[in-house]
Amino acid sequence: MWSHMLNLFQEYMGSGLIVIWFLISLIYLWITEKRKPIRILFLYVPLILLLLFFNPVFAKLVFEAAGDEIYYRILWLLPITVVIAFATVEIWKRLEGRRKSCFLVASVAIIVISGKYVYSNEYFQKAENLYHIPQTVVDICDAIEVEGREVKAIFPLEMVQYVRQYSPVICMPYGREIIVESWQFWNPLYDVMEADVIDPGLLASGCREQWTAYIILPKDKPVNGSLTDYDFEVFAEIDEYVIYKDATVDLTVG
Amino acid sequence: MTISGMLILIGLLGVVPIIIGSAFVTVDKKPQGLPFMWIFGQLVLWAGFQLLSVPIILKVGRFSQVVNIYNVYTAVMLVGAVILWCVRRKKTKLRPVKTKEEALNKTTLVAWIIFWALLVFQLIQAVRLAYGDGDDAFYVAISGMAEDSEWMYQKIAYTGWPSVLDVRHGMAPFPIWIAYLIRLSGMEVSTVNHIVMPLMLIPMTYAIYYLLAEKLFSKKKEGIPVFLIITELLVLFGDYSYYTAERFMIARSRQGKAALGSVIIPVLFFLLLLFLEKMQENQRISLGYWILLGATMTTGCLCSTLGALLVCVLIGVTGLCAAACYKKWKFLFPMATCCVPCVVYAGLYLILG
Repeated sequence: MWSHMLNLFQEYMGSGLIVIWFLISLIYLWITEKRKPIRILFLYVPLILLLLFFNPVFAKLVFEAAGDEIYYRILWLLPITVVIAFATVEIWKRLEGRRKSCFLVASVAIIVISGKYVYSNEYFQKAENLYHIPQTVVDICDAIEVEGREVKAIFPLEMVQYVRQYSPVICMPYGREIIVESWQFWNPLYDVMEADVIDPGLLASGCREQWTAYIILPKDKPVNGSLTDYDFEVFAEIDEYVIYKDATVDLTVG
Repeated sequence: MTISGMLILIGLLGVVPIIIGSAFVTVDKKPQGLPFMWIFGQLVLWAGFQLLSVPIILKVGRFSQVVNIYNVYTAVMLVGAVILWCVRRKKTKLRPVKTKEEALNKTTLVAWIIFWALLVFQLIQAVRLAYGDGDDAFYVAISGMAEDSEWMYQKIAYTGWPSVLDVRHGMAPFPIWIAYLIRLSGMEVSTVNHIVMPLMLIPMTYAIYYLLAEKLFSKKKEGIPVFLIITELLVLFGDYSYYTAERFMIARSRQGKAALGSVIIPVLFFLLLLFLEKMQENQRISLGYWILLGATMTTGCLCSTLGALLVCVLIGVTGLCAAACYKKWKFLFPMATCCVPCVVYAGLYLILG
């Protein structure tokens, strides 16, 4: 447990520089700040919270009640941003003339160097539309939706996390839960769909067993034969994907 | 995205909270301004949503029931706030106190311009950039399902299959509140989640930092914009770890846990600072203050199941520290009373979850 807490703390610190600035700010305020309310809230409380975070009894209770994966959120209670900003401004206020601007520029540089620019994160992409969903997923969902009812479709892995964010009426045999290895979710169709070469017979029968009327495949996905040999028809082609529909299923309402 | 939908959202997320928040402007020594009214009006609304929606969710009710009862609650709060405002106006002619403003020197003016420029930049980025977070497959889908099918936490969000009630997530129905906004505005599920939420929560976060800065630099206000710029930079360069609240705020603002880290916890720090100042100056703590503290803590539960624990830990540690430092113990009772909703939700989670 101790090592897990330490790991979480290290992961939370990242490079560790911002947390070092936080600790330095705490020390500075400890020496200079005289107002009791501020001392209590921004000095004593964070230190007690840190002790609490590393307290094995407290950790065990939280692990049992909420799970160990989210224990790091206890660290959200540390007012890192407020304390660093407050200490910086307090120092800045005490300086005069050129020193004042030099200190501010140095502080900004230190933050920039110590942190990591949030928009440089690889998961940020230029939005393709006002839904913030890949346009191909939007177009495919629009194409297969049927007024007044839910439809079930199987999508390539790269799309599963977006489909139901856009359309609540499109159901899937498996979704994002299959991507997260630690959740150990499994569906036999996943193995067929994500195989290097798709067996169309297995895919068609698997989809029928799970009432899945649509299959969305990348155009360049190797298929050992054709889904059309198993009563699936090409419903539409959108960008780099082909939508197959089970020809034996009537999806019209009423 | 329709103009009427946008106007409805501006009303629901801006005008209505400000009117309701005006009922609480006297909790501090001097009447508070718009940021205070906006934040605390919204917190009172959120707390009401949590108190009203969770029983319906646990009883496997329909989403429309939540919408109707929350509409009534909002209307009652609005009418109450307006009546209170009229009464106060008649009685005391209460108006925002015009304090002697410090002359806005060149440095302060430049600092304010930089702050606003950085804020606008973040809002533009929130619209321009999409963040592909896996957890959205759950939270955004929950909003969509509730709005579309009336089912709340009774289907697997990832697939749409029917399932038993998901008590754990149902106890923190922040996505259902977003579904409420979707229902009333008629806007798309993913647009409200991915665009409207950051456009609301990012400014709200800085409004809270502004309130904190006003307290920290009450004597020399030139520190306020510089403080805000430093907080903005710490947020913008807060991606040094996967787990930081700053990263959650920018990248995942539609998720309740992001609101917990970037709105609820900073608001608690503001309220606790207010509380400690009153202790220091031996001032009476008004009922309005305790209502706001209780509302903030209840909202912590709306945002995340772990929120109940986090806010109670913060209140507990600060309360005990204050009691020891000021040798006053009487206030621990109302403080503990504010924790009651969290304890009830945590208990329900442990029993039902």
